[in-house]
Amino acid sequence: MLDLKLLRDLWRMRGQALAIALVLAAATSTFILSMGVSRSLAETRDAYYARNHFADVFVEMTRAPRSVVDRVAAIDGVQHVEGRIQQYASLDMPGRIIPVRALINSIDDQGHNRLNLVTLRKGRLPQEGAPQEVVADESFAEANGLGIGDEVSALIYGSRQSLRIVGIGLSPDFIYALPPGALVPDNTRFGIFWMGEEALEAATDRKEAINALSLTLQRGVSEAEVIRKVDQIVAPFGGTGAYGREDHISNAFVANELMQLDAMTQVIPPVFLIVATFLVYIVLGRLIRTERTQIGLIKAFGYSDWAIAAHYLKFALSVAALATVAGALAGIWMGQAMTRLYLEFFRFPFLEYRVSGSVFLGAAALSFGAAGLGALGGMRAAARLQPAVAMAPPPPPIYRSGMLERFGTWAGFTATGHMIARHIARWPLRSAITVLGVSLSLALLFATLQFLDSSRTMLDSYFFRAQRQDITVTFTEPRNEDVLFELEQLPGVLRAEPVRGAPVKLSFTNRTERTAIESTSEDAVLSARIDANGNALGLPPAGLMLSSRLADKLGVSTGDKVHVELLGGKQTELDMTVAGIVDEFVGERAYATQGVLERLTRDASPVGAALLRTDPAQRDRILTELKDMPLVLGVTEREASMERFEELIDDNINTMLFFYIAFASAIAVGVVYNSARILFSERAHELATLRVLGYFRSEVGIVLLGELALLVVAAVPLGCILGYWLAQFMTAMFASDLFRLPFAPARSTYGVASLVVMAAASITAVGVALRVAKLDMVRVLKAQE
Amino acid sequence: MSTELAFHGIGLSKIYQTGETQVHALRGADIEIPSGELLVLLGPSGSGKSTLLNIIGGLDRPTSGELYYRNIDLVALDERQLTRFRRANIGFIFQFYNLIPSLTAKENVHLVTDIAENPMDAMEALELVGLKDRADHYPAQLSGGEQQRVAVARAVAKQPGVLLCDEPTGALDSETGKRVLETLAMANRELGTTVVIITHNVGIAAMAHRVLNFLDGRIARVETNDTPIEPREISW
Repeated sequence: MLDLKLLRDLWRMRGQALAIALVLAAATSTFILSMGVSRSLAETRDAYYARNHFADVFVEMTRAPRSVVDRVAAIDGVQHVEGRIQQYASLDMPGRIIPVRALINSIDDQGHNRLNLVTLRKGRLPQEGAPQEVVADESFAEANGLGIGDEVSALIYGSRQSLRIVGIGLSPDFIYALPPGALVPDNTRFGIFWMGEEALEAATDRKEAINALSLTLQRGVSEAEVIRKVDQIVAPFGGTGAYGREDHISNAFVANELMQLDAMTQVIPPVFLIVATFLVYIVLGRLIRTERTQIGLIKAFGYSDWAIAAHYLKFALSVAALATVAGALAGIWMGQAMTRLYLEFFRFPFLEYRVSGSVFLGAAALSFGAAGLGALGGMRAAARLQPAVAMAPPPPPIYRSGMLERFGTWAGFTATGHMIARHIARWPLRSAITVLGVSLSLALLFATLQFLDSSRTMLDSYFFRAQRQDITVTFTEPRNEDVLFELEQLPGVLRAEPVRGAPVKLSFTNRTERTAIESTSEDAVLSARIDANGNALGLPPAGLMLSSRLADKLGVSTGDKVHVELLGGKQTELDMTVAGIVDEFVGERAYATQGVLERLTRDASPVGAALLRTDPAQRDRILTELKDMPLVLGVTEREASMERFEELIDDNINTMLFFYIAFASAIAVGVVYNSARILFSERAHELATLRVLGYFRSEVGIVLLGELALLVVAAVPLGCILGYWLAQFMTAMFASDLFRLPFAPARSTYGVASLVVMAAASITAVGVALRVAKLDMVRVLKAQE
Repeated sequence: MSTELAFHGIGLSKIYQTGETQVHALRGADIEIPSGELLVLLGPSGSGKSTLLNIIGGLDRPTSGELYYRNIDLVALDERQLTRFRRANIGFIFQFYNLIPSLTAKENVHLVTDIAENPMDAMEALELVGLKDRADHYPAQLSGGEQQRVAVARAVAKQPGVLLCDEPTGALDSETGKRVLETLAMANRELGTTVVIITHNVGIAAMAHRVLNFLDGRIARVETNDTPIEPREISW
């Protein structure tokens, strides 16, 4: 019998039940979305790594004999070692003026590789004795319309060679394929190739030599210990410091994404859950107050307190059940969309969005838990009602003049104004919940919108203030100063500046970090170090300047002395003072003047890259000329990188933005709808009285809307403050070794978030207020309240 | 009491459609209520008196018939005009007071004086019903009789042409009931307000100028009382 009542209650209160379900569904769907995507991504990655034997430790060298492989294999705890050649090449794509680079990896011609295996999607591996055969990576091939049998002309190690694509594949060490120095992948400009070992040896003049090692470790072996031993072995061959998966750039980006997803799971669903719990609390509270007499009657019939409490619990749980189903469907749908988005920049052989039973169970548990928790207060109240007391009408609500009214001068306050103010004061908890709910909706929206500002600030800082060159040219191998004059001779090149860099290991107390010291000439104008506040910092005349992330990891502050070990060739060591720290968004680097760097390298440090300022009108000509210069390995256009970065932001954030505007609105709608319905049911009698007294519908509507408007307006500043905190918290959670997003909310973001939430709230409230038109004055007044 | 008519209705009928059954609440009533009259409507429940009161008060519309307030055609008014008509001309008093619990006595009166064209001072209205010293009390702090007197003060404060009272003493004991009736009689006498009172209490008819007896949606009998008595003399 009570279950029949439950069904009817649910139907009668369907609007309110749906509004709560909407908020709960937002919680379950975001949970299923982020948790599901995170699990899918992690499981796919793990399976891919295992199946294709992704190595544990990596090291690059200038040039080492193949025999180094056996020496490394002899280290205790090393399972497999494989040496290979990795060589950058520039490609001449027919009809394309833009510079295209490829990283060519050697593979065993016999197919005997054991690490970082290539998964072939089409075609076959290169054959022995066919030096022109290569496997191209799938994303690059797709982006450039390349297929089996196509030929590309490549400039490898200074000589031009034609490559024929015989296979399309991918491998676990290039899930996220970044060209050196770039922030985001660009499949049209950068690709990965695999080439027969012998052929690449010949092409790069490295007979029986390699320049990279990968190795796997036996279970339970200390990675740090192995790395130390590997470094000792490879140091004489220009080893630039071995590193584990954690520092492997592709793996780091995948891990970074997972970390962000997990951060999302921890921040966003709880916001919805809190709001939903409160909504259940106020709606059930109101339902029980209106059903007081019925409860008394049912109890008088002999139903137990528990049966009554369970009845209202079932009401809440039914809403949760609906929300779980709807949320799961929405979560799966969004998860699939997000997974498709991931496949655009993560190169997996397969990535299926799968939600495991445990994720569903977790989502259901959260949803039912929040609804159950919200129902507790109402259940207790219903259980405690004594039948005799319950069947008598409830005592009239006691109103008092609020503090504000007593202190202020309220001469201008109309009677209806007093009605609004006192009703808010009469139900402080419910009013507070409405304010909190709306402000959380605003906070969530603000925190997500803030990521747009953040990305723009990063874009501005990184691409406009820090980089002022038009083109960056990298060389096949480090050059001396002469190369700059050569570049400046090109028509249209207005200025050329060198970028020098040295791979180093920095140590402080017991902490060690692998990084590079970068230096620019003293009169450099094409690059700058920009801190988080947008200020350009000059290099200290002596000592090092560290990026703040690096300084934090080493635990150093200005004035400390760090131990610097030069990697990759000369093995000099030096203690250097930390003369400055720059709070940068991207990467962890060290900077020094050329003079300081030369103290370490002990000679004129070589030019690794050149920054060019060019005449835009001559762009095509310069690019064509650069393409034909044998010493040029790669050409990066700042403009293109920036566009690519913007594209990524647009793709990624705009998709999310749509969801979050919808989600934030869901909260605002859920909260305001329920408040409005409760308010309307509580005040129906009073509103009808006002109509009888000669108040117009619009004036009566204002009494209803005025209260809601006051609460929503009160929620705006609170929401902005909460949003500020939430955004700050999320920005901090999203920070990784690779980059951190600046916390830089634009003023307009406060406005936009407030407007969206106020619009959602207003539409909802006005929708409910339209019921004023249907008020039956006669019927309401006949009944005693 | 002048001979000008406050209300003039011809063939007023009202049919309520509830589900599949039709209820004829009013079956062709003709009424003439002179300005300044104190009129009592008597009759059993469901005889149509409340329906008539709601229709002449602009809360409801007749299904058919004509109705004029002075020279305003009430049937022709739209929703907004009807509201304006109530606002300007009608004071309502109900059995259960219908005060706003969140407003003090004075503020309940303000509800009306805030929107009326020519209201009296709220305190003056409360003084009229003898509750000046209770002005700052909330309804929950007042007795039933006091609450009803606040309702009367609220109704008369706008100086309406007509006071419509539906069982104004229904929830009150005889002493407080008489007190409320006295204020109604005073408004009728001193302000010239037309007063229409619905009651089950036959004794109240003695204070009226005229009594309309309702039966089955029709006015069954009209009695004229040439010597209305003071409310305090009513035998309850």
